[in-house]
Amino acid sequence: MASSHDADTAGITRRKSLSALAGAGALALAGCTQSGNGGDGGDELSGPINIAGSSTVFPLMSAVMEDFAAEHPGVDPDISSTGSGGGFSNFFCTGDTDFNNASRPIQPEEEELCADNGVEFVELIAATDALTVVVNPEADWIDSLTTEELAQIWKSDPVQTWDEVRDEFPNEEIERFGAADTSGTYDYFIEAILEDEGHTSEYQATEQDNTIAQGVSGSEYAIGYFGFAYYFQNPDQLKALGIDDGDGPVEPSLETASSGEYTPLSRPLFTYPSISSLGEEHIAEFARYFVEQTTNEELVANDVGYVPATEETQEEQMQKLEDAIEQAQG
Amino acid sequence: MATDNANAGGFGEVSRVRGIVFEYLSFGASVFGLVALGVLLVYVAIDAFDLANASPEWLLTYFLTLVVPFLAFCLYSASDRDVTRRALGALGGGLVAVAALFTAVEAFVAPIPRLNWQLAYLFVVAAPVSAYLAYVGSGGRVGAVGFGLLGRLVGGVAIGLAVGTLFLVFDPLLWFLAYTLGVLPAVGLYAVGRRRSTPRAQTAAVPVALAGLIAAVVLRDVVATYPSDLIIYLWTVAVPVAAAGGLLVAGRSGRTVAALVAGLPLAAAAAGGFLAAGVGLPGPTVLLVLVLTGVPTAVYVSRVADAGEGLAGLGLPLLLGAGAIAGALIVEAWGVPAPDPWLDGSFLTAAPSRTPVEAGLYPAIVGSVIIIALVAVLSFALGVGTSVFLEEYTPESGALGTLTRILQVNVANLAAVPSVVYGLLGLGLFANLLGLGIGTAVTAALTLSLLILPITIISAQEAIRSVPDDLRRGSDAMGATRWQTTKNVVLPEAMPGILTGTILALGRAIGETAPLIMIGAATTVFRAPDSLFSRFSAMPMQIYTWAGFPQADFRYGVVAAGVITLLLILVGMNGTAILLRNRAERGS
Repeated sequence: MASSHDADTAGITRRKSLSALAGAGALALAGCTQSGNGGDGGDELSGPINIAGSSTVFPLMSAVMEDFAAEHPGVDPDISSTGSGGGFSNFFCTGDTDFNNASRPIQPEEEELCADNGVEFVELIAATDALTVVVNPEADWIDSLTTEELAQIWKSDPVQTWDEVRDEFPNEEIERFGAADTSGTYDYFIEAILEDEGHTSEYQATEQDNTIAQGVSGSEYAIGYFGFAYYFQNPDQLKALGIDDGDGPVEPSLETASSGEYTPLSRPLFTYPSISSLGEEHIAEFARYFVEQTTNEELVANDVGYVPATEETQEEQMQKLEDAIEQAQG
Repeated sequence: MATDNANAGGFGEVSRVRGIVFEYLSFGASVFGLVALGVLLVYVAIDAFDLANASPEWLLTYFLTLVVPFLAFCLYSASDRDVTRRALGALGGGLVAVAALFTAVEAFVAPIPRLNWQLAYLFVVAAPVSAYLAYVGSGGRVGAVGFGLLGRLVGGVAIGLAVGTLFLVFDPLLWFLAYTLGVLPAVGLYAVGRRRSTPRAQTAAVPVALAGLIAAVVLRDVVATYPSDLIIYLWTVAVPVAAAGGLLVAGRSGRTVAALVAGLPLAAAAAGGFLAAGVGLPGPTVLLVLVLTGVPTAVYVSRVADAGEGLAGLGLPLLLGAGAIAGALIVEAWGVPAPDPWLDGSFLTAAPSRTPVEAGLYPAIVGSVIIIALVAVLSFALGVGTSVFLEEYTPESGALGTLTRILQVNVANLAAVPSVVYGLLGLGLFANLLGLGIGTAVTAALTLSLLILPITIISAQEAIRSVPDDLRRGSDAMGATRWQTTKNVVLPEAMPGILTGTILALGRAIGETAPLIMIGAATTVFRAPDSLFSRFSAMPMQIYTWAGFPQADFRYGVVAAGVITLLLILVGMNGTAILLRNRAERGS
């Protein structure tokens, strides 16, 4: 008897537990479905943002992008470092990217190319850079150069030894390391220092600041130039020269560049959003965010090493941007 | 001739100087390259794992808890007195020699940067001795079992991660439908057909699979509600893998063991997946890793248990795991300063960042893995197809024969075309003309496949050519058609050689940067690609960018961590391919 009773209870418990299990399973399954269209919906921003262009602006843009991507999980931004000119002619003016970064203003032939393809854009100032001329830290015979002397070293028919630049310099051959001709830094250097004289081809040309730094730290009689960021992060590795534009030598620094003393080598950096892209809400929002961040001293100065924009510039840029967005969306 | 035969009159003496000089020159040539590579890799490893900051106490702790037990295990497995004596001699003698030599060089020649004698001992003596002993130890039964188990654990984790990565791009919902409607019925039909020897069921399998795939594509947008990803993986990957494991064991050890071998890992994987999802980890990936590690391990353990030999070897993973935990505890208790490696979990799972400590490689890793998987499939199919056609189907003489030879020469020359040119081809043809998009994963995969195609074709041709003609004639004499000969004789014989060529070519493809730059692949992305048409970044692109960053931490630590990651993935990929090749060699 006892055993059959036991069997009964066992049967009931088994049935009970089975149905309980089935119920739990159904519940679990119900919580384990997803909809086929995969969209999480909502008004959350989403979509890709494609950016190419200057390798000088690259660190700044990718730092801003990193924060924007962290805030908006639906946005999928990517950035390529192609050089200002390469970005305009290969990607931006053919309509393949939404922004192009540039370390110099867009050039007439690039504007023409963009116009041919129906790409309209707006120019935004991203930050200010102090183009830095560096020599080997052991070169204690030199502290500054005038703009004329710089032009003598870098013009298309350059002087060959240091004592031709200034009499008290040693009679040693000059080794030059500079930006490649696809780089906006190269274009800006010509515009600011060399003007009509053209850039020498007797130098090691590269898009990589590291290569310039390596080259210059390898020889006491080498000279090179690049954006301020590299020198800012590695002040002990190289020696930055003061530049004398007629009012005595001024050393490159965040202060001298923002106050406007460091002439003629402090230059604005740009980014060019395409107006048709600004019609998309997530891209317009990113452009606004970028302009807001251009005054962020922590990010622009400390993390990247450029001079933040002033409040005034930022307001101007924001106005320009809002007009463009209105044109695109309205 | 004249000198060699100077004493032709009798058995004179021939000078051996030239022979000896040649021997040492070739020895020097091989040592030069290997040592240069070795030094580079040692420095990259030191940077990636921050070993320059490892205190001697830290190194000693892990040496005692991890390396010494491992060496003891290998020696036990080898159980050869000579080997034991030699190994201990090398370890002891090496310690003295390295310490003395290192100190002498530092004192009299020049200081050696970022290296101390303890690290030098580790890399110059301990690592080679460990490798040698692992080789000798794996010859013994215990060692073979231990390394076999370890290999299945590591390989399972790697394959689980790779499959999880591929599912990021390939729509799991479509796969769910395709598996349920196409793959499963077709495999079922085929199995039934084989068991009952009804060829009709076997031939029906292919159309059933095709119909199922088409139905899946059609239904993909019609069906509105799907099971969650976790359940899809459980149903489409975990259950079949476990079933396959069970079937493998069932024939040998009976049903109870088979049920255990299939059921235990499956249950553990399912539980692990749901638990992981509950605490916010990626449940599907955990499930895949657990099931792809668990089932092969269980199958292997049951096989070893059946054979009853070398059971002690099963303890090797436990020994290493316990050693690692003991080392960590001792370091913690002792308060020894530990290095802070750049290559850690967060580096592998985080997105790129402007601060070196937070920078990660995850999106680029996923991009590279996906591209390489596609390239492997594409270049294998195209390469084998082309080479079979060129070797087996084209005539050897006449006008067509001349044409074939011209084609051959051109294929060989294509292998030397700079990769930038292939990038331009990809940009023009795939990205612009075919409209696959600038910088998308599919454009990159097609471009890289074309880039390595000449190498795969040439090596596959060599492999096919080296199949003896006697085999073909024999097959012909049996009345086989050309297709049967190719399928049953030529391809199986040539497969190891074809795979070797493909492995080498893939190694080149994974490291390419120039063609990726040309097709507009992004330098930096912050999310892993989620479809074949989304823009992506690859590991070499991201590493190259980091190398240009102004902060020194990027140029040394982060770049080194990226290089080691790339190397590890390459080794994993090649390891898989080599296993496949060895299987093919054994099969033929």
